[in-house]
Amino acid sequence: MSASQSAVRSRAEAVQVSRTLDWMILFTLFTVILGGYHIHYMLTGGDWDFWADWKDRRLWVTVAPIVSITFPAAVQACLWYRYRLPFGAVVCVLALMIGEWINRYLNFWGWTYFPVNFCFPSNLVPGAILLDVVLMLSGSFVLTAVLGGMAWGLVFYPGNWPIIAPLHVPVEYNGMMFTLADLQGYHYVRTGTPEYIRMVEKGTLRSFGKDVAPVSAFFSAFVSVIIYFLWHFFGRWFSKTDFIDGEGV
Amino acid sequence: MKTIKDKIAKLSFVALLLAVTSAMFYTPAASAHGEKSQAAFMRMRTIHWFDLDWSKDEVAVNEQITISGKFHVFAGWPETVDKPEVSFLNIGIPGPVFIRQGSWIGGQLVPRSVTLELGDTYEFKVLLKARRPGDWHVHTMMNVEGGGPIIGPGKWVTVTGTMGDFVNPLTTLTGTTLDLEDYGLANIYFWHALWMSIGAAWMLFWMKRPMFIPRHIAVSGGKADTLISATDKKVAMGFAAGTLGLLMFSLGATNEEYPITTPLQAGLMRGIMPIEMPESTVSVKVEDATYRVPGRAMQMTLTITNNGDSAIRLGEFNTASVRFLDADVTEDESGYPDDLLAEEGLTQSDNSPIAPGESKTIEVTASDAAWEVYRLADLIYDPDSRFAGLLFFFDEDGNRQMTMVDAPLIPSFI
Ligand SMILES: [Cu+2]
Repeated sequence: MSASQSAVRSRAEAVQVSRTLDWMILFTLFTVILGGYHIHYMLTGGDWDFWADWKDRRLWVTVAPIVSITFPAAVQACLWYRYRLPFGAVVCVLALMIGEWINRYLNFWGWTYFPVNFCFPSNLVPGAILLDVVLMLSGSFVLTAVLGGMAWGLVFYPGNWPIIAPLHVPVEYNGMMFTLADLQGYHYVRTGTPEYIRMVEKGTLRSFGKDVAPVSAFFSAFVSVIIYFLWHFFGRWFSKTDFIDGEGV
Repeated sequence: MKTIKDKIAKLSFVALLLAVTSAMFYTPAASAHGEKSQAAFMRMRTIHWFDLDWSKDEVAVNEQITISGKFHVFAGWPETVDKPEVSFLNIGIPGPVFIRQGSWIGGQLVPRSVTLELGDTYEFKVLLKARRPGDWHVHTMMNVEGGGPIIGPGKWVTVTGTMGDFVNPLTTLTGTTLDLEDYGLANIYFWHALWMSIGAAWMLFWMKRPMFIPRHIAVSGGKADTLISATDKKVAMGFAAGTLGLLMFSLGATNEEYPITTPLQAGLMRGIMPIEMPESTVSVKVEDATYRVPGRAMQMTLTITNNGDSAIRLGEFNTASVRFLDADVTEDESGYPDDLLAEEGLTQSDNSPIAPGESKTIEVTASDAAWEVYRLADLIYDPDSRFAGLLFFFDEDGNRQMTMVDAPLIPSFI
């Protein structure tokens, strides 16, 4: 087949081929993100996302948005600037959450028998929708980083509170007070995760009294903005096409 | 065109593999059989477990079993391991096959990390409730921050029944009774399904139209602005407003349903009470100690002085959870795990009673296959080739006294 010869013979055929390629590219993109983002999130967010007794109002709220805004920023850069497709963040988050659910259901529950109500993933969808909408309406990645990044950090806790609140109801147990989530961590033995590894309720925000979650969320939102910029450029760099100068060949 | 399709198909296969790998990537550690691979000096010179008792060998699902006993925190704690300032009394089981209903040190509930003092002896108890049928090796275990898990002896326990029958009922401080095994599960599934559907709807809105190639051509041709219509913008605003609305609504509804919640509880517990051990009236000096590699035996020359008022005999040497007994003096009645018990493993050149005020030098040999099986002999390859253990002496009335030994060990290869 010579380069000048077209592979398709009619417009209808071209449309059909283009559509087939759409599905193949989307499928590939989805699975690549599922794998890459999932591994990234496990290595950086790890236990904070695995266990209900790590989902606290200080560190989880701070760490999870910061380490999870990475892939959405990069994929948005690619999909928006090359295709004007405004679903970069949502496709990332859906891929991640599907991967997580497979892992939690098959491995944590199916293989090791940790109850699902103890090892469910965090919900990242609300922030992803806001991130995509801001990018689409503004068309500006600076605005997306600042407004979208802030929103990403700020809505994380409210987006997860309906899921974890029932586990924060207090219980009296053998003369001490626990939340149900603490008790899950105590009851369902993790030989490899001793109690002192658990990074919860640590930090220097004591002076804010009991309203720590919003303060943590604001801090997280600011850092998310910076991380968004960083990963946006990773995405730009990763999705650019370089043509070799013809004279050198 | 066909080659492009082939390439994408190949790439998508690789991507699928990557996705599957990532989903399989992490399974929480379920194994509890690190006992033999742990450096011998870690087991000999850190926590000494003794007087252990597993209340049952076989339990049905929902039944309880208690593991109780004592542990001595060795005063000559190795330099290479962090001091047990932050320690957690754990249990070595393969995942949550039992649930830990309670654990106590010195009568104090210890769901959190504690500070232990070198040289002290503590009493402990762990209460387990059977959850999953099978044969499980149940180990005592102490996690030390900066030192890792220190695994004690393990005993096989059989759990019968079916896991489906397992229940974990609790009553909260707000008066609700629930089963922690599946509490809140429907709520978790509901919110995840709802939010993921909203995300999927947003994607579908864009997937309905041609995605990659035509849009790329348009963007390259400078017609990017034509790709987003006024309607699209309205829909996007609808999604954003809907997201914020749902967040606010669900937050309000949750706070109404769960008005009382508390933060996760954490923090170090200090002031754990040790056992008041009577001052030992026996003093032991290790003259020398050698390990004979071919004979799988440790030989020590001990000078024992009895400062008490009753004649005493050496009955047991306990190191790294392996118990060497002199059958003439004492025997095990607790059903201690066979592989860790050498009922006649301790021989003495002279095991006659040592009278009050008397001092005697004797040759003591501790021999058993356990030296090899539990890789204690590897001690001679450790950076600090010392051994340590507990000696138990018995007086005429059967009273027991505990003394520590800690001395260099010289290997002998012939
Ligand atoms: Cu074992």
